[in-house]
Amino acid sequence: MPVEHAIRATGLTKRYGDFTAVDGIDFTVNRGESFGLLGPNGAGKSTTMRMIAAVASRSAGTMSVAGLDPEKNGPEVRARLGVIPQQDNLDEELSVRENIIMYGRYFGLPRRWLSAKTEELLEFAQLTHKATSRVEDLSGGMKRRLTIARALVNEPEILLLDEPTTGLDPQARHILWDRLFRLRESGTTLVLTTHHMDEAEQLCERLIVVDEGRIMAEGSPAGLIRDHSTREVLELRFGMDRNQEQAQQLTTLLGSPGPASSNDPVSSNGSATAGRDVGFSHVEVLPDRLLVYAGSAESALEQIHAAGLRPMTSLVRRSSLEDVFLRLTGRTLVD
Amino acid sequence: MSTDPLTADPALKGPASPAADKQAMAGRARRFGALHQAERTLRSMRAYGTVIIFSSVSQPIMYILAMGLGLGVLVGEGGDFAEYGASSYLMYIAPAILASTVAMAAGIEFTFPVMEGFKWRRLYYGAQASPLSPGQIASGHILAVSVRFGIHAAVFTVVLYLFGAISSPLGVLMIVSAMLGGLAIGLPIMAYVSTLRDEKGQMSLIQRFVIMPLFLFSGTFYPLTNLPGFLQVLGWFSPIWHANELGRLLAFGQPTPAWLIVVHVLYLLGITVTAWLVTVRIFTRRLGLEEWRGRTPGAKADARRQDRLAVKDASDVARSAAAETAPASRGELPRISFRRGFGANYYSGNIRAVFGRGLTAIRNNRGVIFLSGLLEPVLFLTSFGLGISPMIAGVDAEQVGLSGGGTISYAAFIAPALLAVSAMNGAIFDSTWNVFFKLKITKLYRTMMSTSLGPVDVAVGEICLALFRGGLYALGFLGVLLVGGLVDPLAAVLMWFTALFVALGFASVGMAVTSFMTRFQQMDWMMMVLMPMFLFSATLFPISVYPVGVQAFIQALPLWHAVELMRDIAFWDFSGLTLVHIGYYLVMIVAGLALTTYRMKKLFLR
Repeated sequence: MPVEHAIRATGLTKRYGDFTAVDGIDFTVNRGESFGLLGPNGAGKSTTMRMIAAVASRSAGTMSVAGLDPEKNGPEVRARLGVIPQQDNLDEELSVRENIIMYGRYFGLPRRWLSAKTEELLEFAQLTHKATSRVEDLSGGMKRRLTIARALVNEPEILLLDEPTTGLDPQARHILWDRLFRLRESGTTLVLTTHHMDEAEQLCERLIVVDEGRIMAEGSPAGLIRDHSTREVLELRFGMDRNQEQAQQLTTLLGSPGPASSNDPVSSNGSATAGRDVGFSHVEVLPDRLLVYAGSAESALEQIHAAGLRPMTSLVRRSSLEDVFLRLTGRTLVD
Repeated sequence: MSTDPLTADPALKGPASPAADKQAMAGRARRFGALHQAERTLRSMRAYGTVIIFSSVSQPIMYILAMGLGLGVLVGEGGDFAEYGASSYLMYIAPAILASTVAMAAGIEFTFPVMEGFKWRRLYYGAQASPLSPGQIASGHILAVSVRFGIHAAVFTVVLYLFGAISSPLGVLMIVSAMLGGLAIGLPIMAYVSTLRDEKGQMSLIQRFVIMPLFLFSGTFYPLTNLPGFLQVLGWFSPIWHANELGRLLAFGQPTPAWLIVVHVLYLLGITVTAWLVTVRIFTRRLGLEEWRGRTPGAKADARRQDRLAVKDASDVARSAAAETAPASRGELPRISFRRGFGANYYSGNIRAVFGRGLTAIRNNRGVIFLSGLLEPVLFLTSFGLGISPMIAGVDAEQVGLSGGGTISYAAFIAPALLAVSAMNGAIFDSTWNVFFKLKITKLYRTMMSTSLGPVDVAVGEICLALFRGGLYALGFLGVLLVGGLVDPLAAVLMWFTALFVALGFASVGMAVTSFMTRFQQMDWMMMVLMPMFLFSATLFPISVYPVGVQAFIQALPLWHAVELMRDIAFWDFSGLTLVHIGYYLVMIVAGLALTTYRMKKLFLR
């Protein structure tokens, strides 16, 4: 019986003793979708992934993966999954090719079929020239690609990726993203966790923001930014000691209604200054810098300069999921 | 009255920072650098200080009880050893056991920590950034290890005195000869290890092909002259033999010609000094300006292997190109099949894959490491069979609980026991060290559990692998016994199956125990249980030499049952007790497997 959704979880909970790692979350992943779990370390992302992968039991709630309960049909569920763990756990005692073949054998696939499939996957991972090498001779990016190739050996319906590009250099990341795009196009469901915003924006059609085991928000990357942040951000540094007091000043300066609209009833941190093209929302104080949220960061900067304030550095950028997370939780994602 | 603080006399400045005067600091490092490095090494040893002290106390007691008293009964007290100046067998072997245990410690302290310093934790590169010279780093390590030898030897000597195994106060000096012996065997090894860029099983090769043979053929448990001529030559080259003989001279005045004393001292000193200088030179090459990165052992062999595979690859491609007429496609994904129904969550019916992976891994590793396991029982049999036999007329069959009376040769007595021990060692090694490694370090089992495999597939597959290895070793050893005429062909066949049976018992319990372990140090404790079990379980002498209480304790241990079972078969002497031995192992197997499976599930399916 064909199931519309790839994964559906309701009231999903995981407790280790007194500690609640996942606190009653609901989500659905549709077939062929690429779905992200975004959150800081310790938010419960990996635990959720482990419950999907049928290697962790649930404390409460229901879950169906490809129409099956992972707790009851462990091997059957795992046969439909490709799992890419946070750390490459390749088999160092085997060669690159043997790594893929043996992994396929764990699924009980016949050797004859595997030998052809393996060549195909080596090609896909751009590792054909390294087929007989030992794993320890591979670079970090190559190891990651081999881990992904290996997870594809059973032609999984759902691919689980835990922090797929953490620790890779930018070039290796882009090669990897390219491979993942291809998989998405071929109809594989991707579920990935990340704490890299750019990765979530690149790869996920839809994502949930998780913190302390609960879902803080859900939506597409663009939708989340639209709903929870301004279009642009101005990053300012005044020096460690002065950031806090400057924040007060900036809020008053940018937030106060201009002379033209002094009787505008909207409160000081609203969008009352929209008429002056700043679109100011609020200021976040981080230990090393200030973030000014505004529709037009450029105009905000002009206004700050006009008021005679002299930040040590300033940077105008577009709003990202990082800002969404900061807004939702009051904390930064990578500390 | 200078106003410039930089030129002010540092002595006048009172509590200034000792780091302020860079010149004095560099001078201190130049003079005492080796001591600083030694201090660091000793501090790191404190982490396993309990193990060091415990083994220094327990090893002499263990050897005194086992070899001195147990084997001593067979060898016969007094008489024989008067010509060497000792009044008992215990007294005769005491100095040699001290020297041997120091040599064993040298085999550890000069291998793993050096590899750790260069490669695993790169500690030496931290010291390199300080004013210490590379030579001081090397010497510091050597000094620290010498101190450890000294502590071990001192504790050991005290215990020997307490048991009356040494009488002369001059015996204290054998601490020095033992330390010298340890350095003479350890420093050449340190020099070799410090040239290595990478470790590919060299440490265990050193243990098995250098330390073990030298220990067994250095006249530790018997005079070297008991061995046939060609094996005596091996002893002459062994620093342990020279240290043993010096120790005997010091402990009980073993009559030795003056020239031989000079040879002993010069040989030990010569090796120590030469190897020390070579080590300093290698450290200077690696940590000095030259920045030599060391050699990769087996790099050539690995290159050859890759070439071979590449050639095979090319021919495969050529063949498939030739057979282009056949459709190139691999076809649809075959059905992934697994068991359904009872216990489907634990066992997917694919033990084969786990076993196959193990075989491939063995094939990829260097064969010599695999084969080295075969060597150990053969070496033991050669050493004890040839060296001890001249001192023992034979073992009284009745004394060892065999019917029929008469005496059996000592070699025939220990051969079945050594087979049981090798089955135990192989199974324990595979199911503890190797499993721990795959469990905690490489996380192989975690990977396996993310596929459709279940915990039972993994556990049983790994145990099968341990049995495969154990079976091959047993086959080799039984071959040696057959050639030596120590067993009948029919008994040998039965003994082979028994070796597998025994190995299965130890492997399943060993794996269950390993699943509870969290750190490598806990493995050390386990090894400390195995050693006395080997020495006391009626392997080298019958347990009838002990009081009844001690006998009962030994009879509760698994190895005793294995040894007795093997002997029953070897001498074709079965009784109701044979069934008890078999029953004991059946319980071990079932309990071990059940606990292992439970733990696997607990660890991986949480």
